[in-house]
Amino acid sequence: MAETVVVTGLGVVSPLNPEGDLERFWASLCAGDTALCEVHSFDTSRYPCHVAAEIDRDRLGVSGAAEAPAWRMAELACDQALTHAAARCTFEPRRAGIVVGTVLGGTTMGERYIRAENRERGREVAALTQYPLRAVAALLARKTGYSGCALTVSTACASGTDAIGLASRRIASGRADLMIAGGVDAVCELSFSGFAALKALTTDKVRPFSRNRTGLALGEGAAFLILEAAQAAARRGASVLGEIAGYASRADAVHLTAPHREGRGLAAAAAAALRDGGCRPDAIDYVSAHGTGTPYNDAMETLALKTVLGNHAHRVAISSIKGALGHAFGAAGAIEAATCLLAMRDGIIPPTINLEESDPACDLDFVPNRARRTTVRAALSLSAGFGGQNAALAIRAPAP
Amino acid sequence: MSHPVRLVSIGIARTDGDGAGETGGLAGRLSGALSVVSRDGAQVRLAHGIEEATLIAAYDALRLAGVRTPLGTEEIGVALGVEEGIDGIKAQYYREIVKDGPLGASPIVFPLTTPNTVAARISIALDLRGEIVTMCGGTLSGAHALGRAMEALREGRSSAMLAGGATSVEREFLDAVSLVGGFEGGAPGCAACLFLLRAQGSADAGSVAGQILGYSEAVGAHDVRDAVEACLQDAALAPSQVRSVLVASALDPRVLVESVCGVGVDAPMRRSPSAWWYSASFPLAVAEAIGQAADGPREPTLVVGSDCLVGAAAAVVRGGGC
Repeated sequence: MAETVVVTGLGVVSPLNPEGDLERFWASLCAGDTALCEVHSFDTSRYPCHVAAEIDRDRLGVSGAAEAPAWRMAELACDQALTHAAARCTFEPRRAGIVVGTVLGGTTMGERYIRAENRERGREVAALTQYPLRAVAALLARKTGYSGCALTVSTACASGTDAIGLASRRIASGRADLMIAGGVDAVCELSFSGFAALKALTTDKVRPFSRNRTGLALGEGAAFLILEAAQAAARRGASVLGEIAGYASRADAVHLTAPHREGRGLAAAAAAALRDGGCRPDAIDYVSAHGTGTPYNDAMETLALKTVLGNHAHRVAISSIKGALGHAFGAAGAIEAATCLLAMRDGIIPPTINLEESDPACDLDFVPNRARRTTVRAALSLSAGFGGQNAALAIRAPAP
Repeated sequence: MSHPVRLVSIGIARTDGDGAGETGGLAGRLSGALSVVSRDGAQVRLAHGIEEATLIAAYDALRLAGVRTPLGTEEIGVALGVEEGIDGIKAQYYREIVKDGPLGASPIVFPLTTPNTVAARISIALDLRGEIVTMCGGTLSGAHALGRAMEALREGRSSAMLAGGATSVEREFLDAVSLVGGFEGGAPGCAACLFLLRAQGSADAGSVAGQILGYSEAVGAHDVRDAVEACLQDAALAPSQVRSVLVASALDPRVLVESVCGVGVDAPMRRSPSAWWYSASFPLAVAEAIGQAADGPREPTLVVGSDCLVGAAAAVVRGGGC
């Protein structure tokens, strides 16, 4: 019999809450704020696009310092999550572990090293130690002292969702008592240039599911969830925010950079996550969509939801928070899972901002521009990424 | 109670050959795989040696298991360990940006700067629509991928998994490792080692190359000891039942002896010659242990690996069937 996996703590660091204040993040998201502004962390003057959702490096405490922004964000979000769960020092270290989802890790430090190589390469050696993708997980393991595992999953934009899913399996199977799972990524020129070359970047704002959508914007941040077995959480009197009821990942198997046009892989992942969690499609009250604001993603996601939810797709509330936060890659899925849990807690669904024109190809209820009060008992959090990666989490509200 | 996983077949591709006459044969094997997997007039385009090696290994593992490709179903998932294998591509891509600005950004090369591209290429080429995950654990990448595949199979979430590790070791990577004071070793080249794994009780009861009896990982001051102890527990084996120990990384032999003997394992130990294949090293060592067992007694071998950042992993494997 699998253990029930519950979430007892959340930590989110985003451009809406650089210091990691969870309530500020949530209030800003529900108010329809956006963090998109001109890129400051590198020179974009030669690029056609200049916007992203960045965290002020000074406020992050890494300005000029030899520390990868991703490290600081991850450290802060992890710390907030443990505090939120009141879970420090209460677990056998070997029964606790870390799973981090990231696409870029310390790529900003790799950029520094390459730029410096002909001048002062020796001085950038410290930067190299922060470059490997797995270095963030190693850092969190050192900081927490948890020794069960320090895993890094990199599945493009689905990384954060997969990290939570894989960690939840570890608890469900009884191999861990506590897992810290989530994702982190920082804006860098490498990814900015790549998405610019693919002509996927918007030049002004992100408009998920809107007919006049023009592309995505890069974002950054970190989010971590504290996962525990329900019985163990109950024994220590922990507050439960929700249950990771189901998880699945599926491959499109069609194209390296474009999604399957009908959302085949995403629909398969969502259906499998619902089955895994024993959730009926019509029990879902909220879908946190991947909703990047690119023409192909939003259209395929609409079709995928119709495939999975049937007629219920037209009744369920769906929103994308990428208009507010941009696309934080490895962190996106974890931030969106946190959004589902906060929606359950407060009975508020954050809006899809900048939804200006309805699109016949995106004809579902995307909660346009204003937050909505409603009871959320079960939610689906969807992620899709390069390489045809698709992942879904079925999340259930705690029993009343 | 242990839940072994059946290791149905093994696919290996290495640019240095593996002693089985592979050197010089990779181009032919790639061509053979591509002629089968290209479909509907569409060419499967591979841009880098790591993709080529992985496709060859994946195709061979499936072919040897009697799986016809392209598959076109969710039946088989992919769990691949990749990390340093994309660093060369990433560095080259970024150098072009530094040199030429936005004009240096290649939309063809950019997707290859993420490690999951390798698994994605395999899923596309072989039309594998099941679970898909890429693990980045440095020298333990392949071990972590095997661990995730075992979880998926044991918990009944997938009926089969193509799992292992792949790398492209480049001179610049070796220089960087040396610069930061990491262990030094290895030579440039590409390698991939993939297994087709099935759950022990799965309906398809064909022949198997071996079994993975147990697996575990750990991090921290006692990582090797903890990983070995948990692995033996997972395999429901007493330390005395381990007949040999194969080391899959550049682990300090003193640490290893202390750790392994500390949990009561008293068996001959040696380092795998594949220890320098980073992300592919652990799966290659597992393959080596299985291969040796094919010619000798089918008794448990403990495979131990470690990484300078994320700890240790251990697996107990045995050649042949039950």
